[in-house]
Amino acid sequence: MLKALSSLRDGVGFDILLVGAALVFLMALAGAPLIYNVLMSFQQVDMFTLGSLIRPFAGFDNYVAVVQQPEFWLVTRNTLIFVFGSMAGQFVLGFALALFFAQKFPGSATIRGLFLVSWVMPGLVVGAIWSWILAGDFGVLNVILRALGIIDANIFWKSDPAFSIWAVIIANIWLGLAFNMLLLSVGLAAIPRDLYEAAELDGANAFQRFWTITLPMMRSTIGAVLSLGLIGTLQQFDLFPALTEGGPANTSNVAGYWSWQLSFQLYDFAKGATVSVMMFLLVLFASVVYVRSTRHEVRG
Amino acid sequence: MTRTYTPWFLLAVALALAAIYLFPLYWMYITSLKGGSEMFANPPTFWPRDPNPGVYGEVWARRTMPVYLWNSVLIASGVTAITVVLGTGCAYVLARYRNVWVDVGLFCVLMLQVLPASVMVTPLFVGFNQVGLLNYPRTAVVLAAAAKAMPFFVVLVRATFMSVPRELEEAALVDGNSRVGAFFSIVLPLARNGILVCAILTFMSAFGEYIYSKSIIQSPSLQPASVGLSGFLGPNSSDWSSIMAYSAIYVTPILAAFVILQRRIVSGLTSGALK
Repeated sequence: MLKALSSLRDGVGFDILLVGAALVFLMALAGAPLIYNVLMSFQQVDMFTLGSLIRPFAGFDNYVAVVQQPEFWLVTRNTLIFVFGSMAGQFVLGFALALFFAQKFPGSATIRGLFLVSWVMPGLVVGAIWSWILAGDFGVLNVILRALGIIDANIFWKSDPAFSIWAVIIANIWLGLAFNMLLLSVGLAAIPRDLYEAAELDGANAFQRFWTITLPMMRSTIGAVLSLGLIGTLQQFDLFPALTEGGPANTSNVAGYWSWQLSFQLYDFAKGATVSVMMFLLVLFASVVYVRSTRHEVRG
Repeated sequence: MTRTYTPWFLLAVALALAAIYLFPLYWMYITSLKGGSEMFANPPTFWPRDPNPGVYGEVWARRTMPVYLWNSVLIASGVTAITVVLGTGCAYVLARYRNVWVDVGLFCVLMLQVLPASVMVTPLFVGFNQVGLLNYPRTAVVLAAAAKAMPFFVVLVRATFMSVPRELEEAALVDGNSRVGAFFSIVLPLARNGILVCAILTFMSAFGEYIYSKSIIQSPSLQPASVGLSGFLGPNSSDWSSIMAYSAIYVTPILAAFVILQRRIVSGLTSGALK
């Protein structure tokens, strides 16, 4: 007993206590829900059995039922468009901005920092602002696009089935762009300057330097940014209630929001859980990539 | 990397890019000041002809914003407190060793972060119902949101601890400090800035928490400002100057704090946490 106590003050016990407290907390509030969700996706659930653990076993019935829902393929397609559209936009624009702000000029760090305000904005507020900017009749984006001669007639971003998912993507790119830029800036700053100087002496042009030095040197950063981007995009929820509520006719619905709708609007908890388990498999893949990318990190 | 441009030209481009990027924020403030007819004017005015700041007071009172904002502050403080207390120790241990168990721990922490909140909300709702926590909905939301925020905090703070030289801690142990003593008197003070930055970020993101509050808290008097905002949002919303005024009141404190602390936050993140 005394030994255990002193190990708590002085030995491995101290480490175990520190890690253990956090892990127990996380297991209870994040691990258990995950297991419960998986369990529920294989059971028959209704309002009355919601609170009990033991319920009739349903096998893969819920999965079959979810796939047979008329909107299943539409939601799957939207989820893929949303994830890849958002990630591509956030990454390409974030990388471009990171490269731009890596140049030396007065105020570069301060102005780059201002971009990060989008990162601390509540998602719901971002959704509200973009909802007004994207409004079909009075939205300022249509006015600007018309003035620039890009479009002839107003686009009804939120209510036109062809554009509704893009309305959410635009808002999501704005929301996540700054974080991508910050991570990529940090990766850029870690590349030794003399590599570029040597390449320049050897006559490499800007594009060749980018292709042969910047990209390979940033491989692990890019891996981390992309996997965090995938996770973050799949988690995005707040923009949907603020912008389109998944509509019109599910043309902007994605798996995360659909799962919540099934559970909390239709009270079909088993199907909601099933959709979320399907989604989780995708996320699992992303986190394996992320953990692999941290394996090569350097100790400072 | 090319040196043909002058720095001042780059500065001008940077300011232009920032102006484009921050336009939505500008539009929020401008819209909130517009009156009824100007709101829907075509083409829209980029500066209000007849600014009407009265809408702020009206929205503040009519939407009972003090209650909502106070709830947001309470929830964000609770989340930050739990996250910092539990997360700091965890991050420290995960930074101090490199072995299979640390990899496993890190993987667990990350895996538990990646669950979308919309996935976790049903089981949490059921679980909280079982233990009677739904009678204290704000506490329930704090617990749920802290579990969501902690993994990110652990990852960031872990990197901060990695930049604390190990020799200093070992020296303290040789001098007769216990592990507890060395942790509190040497390691924590050295990592203080990084922890502070991450705590501020945790607070800011918890301030905008939405989905747990929306699903768990029923009574309007206990809901945070995000749920209050969602009350008059939707595909058919029309009262845009009030919505924008509400949004402005909601985010201005966070934005002001962020802009004031910007240099420290960004340098804190880039020097240690995001390496």
